[in-house]
Amino acid sequence: MPGKTDKILEQVEQSRVWRSIFRSGRGTSTLHNALAIQQSVFLHLFSTKVRKRMLSVSSTWYLGTLTLGTFFILIVTGVLLMLYYHPSVPQAYADMKDLQFVVSSGLFLRNLHRWSAQAMVFLVFAHMFKVFYRGAYRAPREFNWVVGVVLLLITLLLSYTGYLLPWDQLAYWAITVGSNISAAVPLVGSKIHFLLLGGNQVDANALLRFYVLHCLILPLAALLFVAVHFWRIRKDGGLYVHQSEPKKAGVVDETELVKEVQ
Amino acid sequence: MSDPKDFVAGVDSDQRRSPTRVVFVTRRTSAQVKANYEEQVQTYPEVLFRVLLAVEILAIVLVVMALLFNAPLEGIADATHTPNPAKAPWYFLGLQELLHYFPPVVAGVLVPTMLVVSLIIIPYFNINIEAAGLFLQHRQRRLRIFYLTAIGLLVFLVAFHVYVAAVPTLIVAIAMVIAANSSPASHSAPRRYLASKPMAWWVMTWFLFELIVLTAVGTFFRGPGWSWVLPWRS
Amino acid sequence: MKSVKQLISSVWRALFGDTMRAFAIVSVILMLTLAIAPAKDHFSQWHRYQNGYLSMISDRGDAISLRRRFEPGIQQIWHPEIGVVDRCETCHEGLKEASLADVTTQPFRKHPVIPHPLDRYGCTICHRGQGPATTVEEAHDSKLAGVDPILPARYIESGCGQCHQNALTGTPQLNLGRQYLAQYGCVNCHMVKTPDGTVMKATDNPPSLEHIADKTTRDWIFTWLKNPQAYAASATMPNYKLSDADASDLSAFLISSSKPQAGDVDATIIPAAKNADPSAGASLYGESFCATCHAVQNAAGNLVGGDVGPELTRVGNKVKPAWLQAWIENPRVYDEHTLMPHYRFTPQQVAMLTGYLMSKSDSDYSTDAHLGTATPAQIAHGRKLVVELGCAACHTINGVKKPDNFAPDLSQIGSKPLAQLIFLPGMKQTLPTYIASKIKDPGSFGPAMKMPQVPVTDAQREALTTALLSLSDRSQTMPDKLRIAGFHQTTYEPAGHAGKLMADLACMSCHRINGHGSDMAPDLSYEGSAVQAQWLDSFLKNPNTLRPALTRRMPRFNLSDADRKTLTDYIMVAYQSPAIDPDKAPPAVNPPALVEQGRQLFYSKYACQSCHTANTNTDKGYIGPVLAQVGTRLQPAWIYAWLKNPQALRPGTIEPNQNISDEDARAMTAFLMTLKSAGKQEGKQ
Repeated sequence: MPGKTDKILEQVEQSRVWRSIFRSGRGTSTLHNALAIQQSVFLHLFSTKVRKRMLSVSSTWYLGTLTLGTFFILIVTGVLLMLYYHPSVPQAYADMKDLQFVVSSGLFLRNLHRWSAQAMVFLVFAHMFKVFYRGAYRAPREFNWVVGVVLLLITLLLSYTGYLLPWDQLAYWAITVGSNISAAVPLVGSKIHFLLLGGNQVDANALLRFYVLHCLILPLAALLFVAVHFWRIRKDGGLYVHQSEPKKAGVVDETELVKEVQ
Repeated sequence: MSDPKDFVAGVDSDQRRSPTRVVFVTRRTSAQVKANYEEQVQTYPEVLFRVLLAVEILAIVLVVMALLFNAPLEGIADATHTPNPAKAPWYFLGLQELLHYFPPVVAGVLVPTMLVVSLIIIPYFNINIEAAGLFLQHRQRRLRIFYLTAIGLLVFLVAFHVYVAAVPTLIVAIAMVIAANSSPASHSAPRRYLASKPMAWWVMTWFLFELIVLTAVGTFFRGPGWSWVLPWRS
Repeated sequence: MKSVKQLISSVWRALFGDTMRAFAIVSVILMLTLAIAPAKDHFSQWHRYQNGYLSMISDRGDAISLRRRFEPGIQQIWHPEIGVVDRCETCHEGLKEASLADVTTQPFRKHPVIPHPLDRYGCTICHRGQGPATTVEEAHDSKLAGVDPILPARYIESGCGQCHQNALTGTPQLNLGRQYLAQYGCVNCHMVKTPDGTVMKATDNPPSLEHIADKTTRDWIFTWLKNPQAYAASATMPNYKLSDADASDLSAFLISSSKPQAGDVDATIIPAAKNADPSAGASLYGESFCATCHAVQNAAGNLVGGDVGPELTRVGNKVKPAWLQAWIENPRVYDEHTLMPHYRFTPQQVAMLTGYLMSKSDSDYSTDAHLGTATPAQIAHGRKLVVELGCAACHTINGVKKPDNFAPDLSQIGSKPLAQLIFLPGMKQTLPTYIASKIKDPGSFGPAMKMPQVPVTDAQREALTTALLSLSDRSQTMPDKLRIAGFHQTTYEPAGHAGKLMADLACMSCHRINGHGSDMAPDLSYEGSAVQAQWLDSFLKNPNTLRPALTRRMPRFNLSDADRKTLTDYIMVAYQSPAIDPDKAPPAVNPPALVEQGRQLFYSKYACQSCHTANTNTDKGYIGPVLAQVGTRLQPAWIYAWLKNPQALRPGTIEPNQNISDEDARAMTAFLMTLKSAGKQEGKQ
């Protein structure tokens, strides 16, 4: 039985259509595996080989990976939620009720989106602190750290803009409190506040503005910076790993090296 | 002088150990690299499936959470009825807690801007690339600066009644005092650990500590009128 | 132990030892967890109720037709213009099934018949609750702000009151509640703006206290303040539960602030009053129909009489005889706006009535409070109390301004968020409970509560609660086309000599003219088109022979001939109906053939005698007015127009519009104009 499925799989993978899509071909050789990464537009951001120590759980806790995972869950659930949502007052709130009471698994979708969003904010912070304490922000990875800070801000903005969309009391007053802070910016505070809300108070305009930011502009920005973030991992020499192996006996003392050069 | 053949060039990505890669070529030998062999794995399938596995486990945890706990939904937004307290999302509650003490320009604009700017400049601020313990070099001068800063900060926070932020500051300061009075050769492991920490580590730890305490206080310990409440007594 | 460990580790390795295998297994687990949510949906509460409904109807006789009408899935009534999304019928499947009248278990009971089709406005508009919800807990008892829990059935009429500002026959409780709001003076302190934008006016007519010292004594005021209901069981003045000292200080201030009435009370008839025969006073009291407005407690303790004026059971304990005389002589001197008519009594009659009323005292009701002389400190404290208690919100008091918005605005009390209410411990946390408890015992909500305990019965309290609950947010945001306006008093006042006369006689205390006045007696707006001048004149001269069976009757005002003529002429000219063209009036006298044809139509085709009596000897219709003398009372044009379309002349009359042809109407008018029983007059319709 396994032999038979293998045979069918083999036939499929060697068909013209399959080969036209996946050029790496069938096989488990290093070349094949390398091609699988290299030939894919999504995966070629990563290097084809990594040092094995990078995979250890203790060094990264996979926090970056998990953040990416929440981001994917958020995209999938978010797109599904968009099918049931109108960014208008008071229909937005009625849509929450519909999600809760009539949409199949609607409440589950909203729950998953909500908890994933909270998890993402938490994981982004955790990732940042983990990177800091490992010292992985140092050269040559300075710029990737900066990209990471930008991604942190984008994540916070995504979560913040999404917070308003249910249009309930919690959302309304959280955004009112938050947006009032922007009015405190010296000189241009009220202008920023107006620009943010599309008016002087949280209302239908703010809802539409936050919807567009939450569903289009910020996710696109996040995708862009995530791509840069990954590309830079590869270009900066892979994930940072501690020199945790015991020093080899042959390694010379630094002072002696200096003398030799002289 | 030792035998030139004893040189070993290391392939090392640890910037602390080898900030610059140097190739040594002696007069009598041709250029050659003796690299450390380090085991490598293919991204496909090893890394890819591990990543997917991690993401799937995360997804299972989140799905179970979504099944067990409902996302909060209150009554429809009503501009005429302000809930008391009106709270921002949890990750901004640290800032909201500060807003309780300082004018919005300080707590809402200055502090977050400073935070973002300092986060961005961290990697470019590599005075202490050796990452040696804070008080191991220039001990007297650094101690003076530390005492001045810590006491100034504490007085400032207490003067504004920001005890919530003063307590973590005090704890970190005490830890730093312990660090200053410990040597890397100490017999006690925690003291060795503290003594070896550079300034950036201390600043970040202080920031993390403040972030956690302020956010937790804002989330759990604040009731009507931003008054102090105990979450288990509702 | 070791083997268990080995077993676990070998199982672990078998499952997760290899990345690919672990990935496959975890993928399967993820798929399974993802399948839980749709499965939960499938076993939801409403599915269970629908299955329950199907099994309930399966053993009924009409199972087939019931099942055919059963619609599976979520049912909803959707009316975006009034914000209704009601999914109640998802579980309440049998609401419209007439054959389920015997089912008593919810959620399958049939809805009682109501004037609107069930899905015209949905359920939550009257019952409250959360319409979009599909679980019992969320639909009935949601704790969300802005969502009310299901309204207890005894307050259900409040739902009607959100659109219907008028009084409906089907909502007695609501109508009473609205009436009580005005009658118990609630709206003197509380602002109540009805959804059609008018501010509710009080009808309790609290007396002015500007000249209170002329009327009564400090001791009586003290006793009254201590317990108003002890003086008159029907008193609407609330009991403020004052201490002796406070009541004493208040009475001191009220007496000291009183100014003597301008124009001295004529003391010369007092001896006449003393000599007057009390039994003659009693018969004059009866003849003047004082009981139409004033009540007196009889021996059995029941109140007999109307509630327009104050109860007179113990009036002798209260008023000073001189004041009472002056009042009966002409009440408008003491109070320009009183509802009491100015009877033209002779001095002898005034004396008789005064003597009779002063004899109405109760020896058990002691007003002997032994209050000393009022000190300035007492008066000052009394004034402070008057301001604090808001006495001036109801009464006119010299030197104290009527406070504005003394009590909270109740215009939207029916949707007050629970978060803004303070409940007593152990109290059910719902709005109706809160309102009812607050009316029942405001003092229990804390000593700082200024609201007094209004003397209402349990039924009256429920009516008040119903009326207050109808003042909901929804009632304010209802589209205008759905709103049925209530009756609102116009500011109409007749002018000229006749106008002055009508004000003096307080006609509008009982009658309504052009939208102003009370509905106790017939509306007089079109009286000039309806009646004949001669009849009106004789009626004004001697009305008390009419309808002797009724308590509420038109009193005789002892008008002079000149006054009567002024009134009759004015009414005949000014109060004409635009629906009647006087130039096309049918003749009053007609050929006998036409009269006979009319009689035939009256008795056979339209069978009017089933409700009316044309011949007092033979007919037995008592629903409508007796018509035996209608020929002397009504004008032919009015009779004709009335027959053609009664509702056009008097909206809401129960006389059916039978679409009578012009010819038939003319014939019946001819017949009716011949009904003139000699010597006796008949009551108006």
